[in-house]
Amino acid sequence: MAETMKEFFERRPELNCIIFAGKGGLGKTTFSAATSHWLAEQGKRTLCFSTDPQASLSDIFERDIYGKGIQSFAPNLHVLEIDSDKRVNEYQESIRKKILDMYNLKELPKEIDEYIKAAASEPAMHESATYDAMAELMVKRDHSYYVFDMPPFGHGIRMVSMALILDTWIDKITELRMKAREYDEAMAALRGRTEAEKEDVILKELTEIREKLDFFSGVLTDSKRTAFFMVLIPEKMAILDTERALKMFDSMKLNLSGIIVNMVYPPELLKMKDLGDFLKHRIEMQQRYMKVIWEKFEPYIRAVVPMYDREPKGLKMIAKVAGDLFGWKLER
Amino acid sequence: MNEEKKKGTEAKKAVKELVYGMAMHDMVRYSLKTRMYLEHLFMLITLGDMLGIPLLPPYYSLKMLPYAVPNIKSWQRRLFRERDFTDSLY
Repeated sequence: MAETMKEFFERRPELNCIIFAGKGGLGKTTFSAATSHWLAEQGKRTLCFSTDPQASLSDIFERDIYGKGIQSFAPNLHVLEIDSDKRVNEYQESIRKKILDMYNLKELPKEIDEYIKAAASEPAMHESATYDAMAELMVKRDHSYYVFDMPPFGHGIRMVSMALILDTWIDKITELRMKAREYDEAMAALRGRTEAEKEDVILKELTEIREKLDFFSGVLTDSKRTAFFMVLIPEKMAILDTERALKMFDSMKLNLSGIIVNMVYPPELLKMKDLGDFLKHRIEMQQRYMKVIWEKFEPYIRAVVPMYDREPKGLKMIAKVAGDLFGWKLER
Repeated sequence: MNEEKKKGTEAKKAVKELVYGMAMHDMVRYSLKTRMYLEHLFMLITLGDMLGIPLLPPYYSLKMLPYAVPNIKSWQRRLFRERDFTDSLY
């Protein structure tokens, strides 16, 4: 018997990181917003964070929050949508300024300036910047729940794999740096000084990064603290995609916490006498795929959410979606 | 009295430096060299894409960049320099 969404949250009190992944356009952002709304209503301080470069929380909440920092428009509910372009630009500027200040320069040496520009235009830059922002938020531990709305590519899982690789990298580099530090100390001793001349600032910086990444990747790989949800609609493509995603999860030794089936036309409509052929066929098709979905993914299904007669936008509609998502029960 | 004390410390210092020069200096020189290799290896890993060898994701490379600025010139010179077997003698 599948756990419902509500049971899932109630049985896991340690949970504090919720990630919605899956194909684009199926309702990840809607469910991120709805889950945050529900948690906030339960009195939990919740932060809903969109990592999707295409601004969408702004649309759903019908407020312009893109790149404006953490915003709040309901008790306990905080929303953040970062503008990764802006963040990368600011980051570049901060590095430039740091170099100028550190060495009292008027302008940057040409090759260093070029390097900064080239590094910032690399595609991985935006992902890393977003990831770093996520890690930074979680390390602060200001909220009981963090709900992340992931970009569609690679099921958002790629972000996690990147996290783990990055973590290993930083560990290795820190090791190398420690070795260098040992040499500094040994030389100081040979020269008859008790301490190495100066503290290694790089090691300090690396340790800071490492602690942040270690903490975050620790949370991400701990199934007690992190839940991954996928959104699915009763259509063939989405089913195939979910199967692939399940394999990806397996290969990374992560657990998929649940699947939410979205945009399901109410089958009761079939009983209506004047139902047009168009809708009838569509509902019948969906019901056929629903059977497949139950067969394939039964242990994962946490909720089935209906298709609405209008776009789920604005706080009122989000509350409605949250009600459907967390109020769903298996009827058989 | 004072004069004697001063002489004493000076002699002590001279002996210390002599011992250092005879026994330790080479070790320190060798350590400094190894330390330089380590520094350059570190720079290669963090700032490798400056030479077209991308290793670390650039986000964290940039964090390391300010500290590496004074060493960049010598690092590039060492890596780009032509080499032959006599190099290993020194």
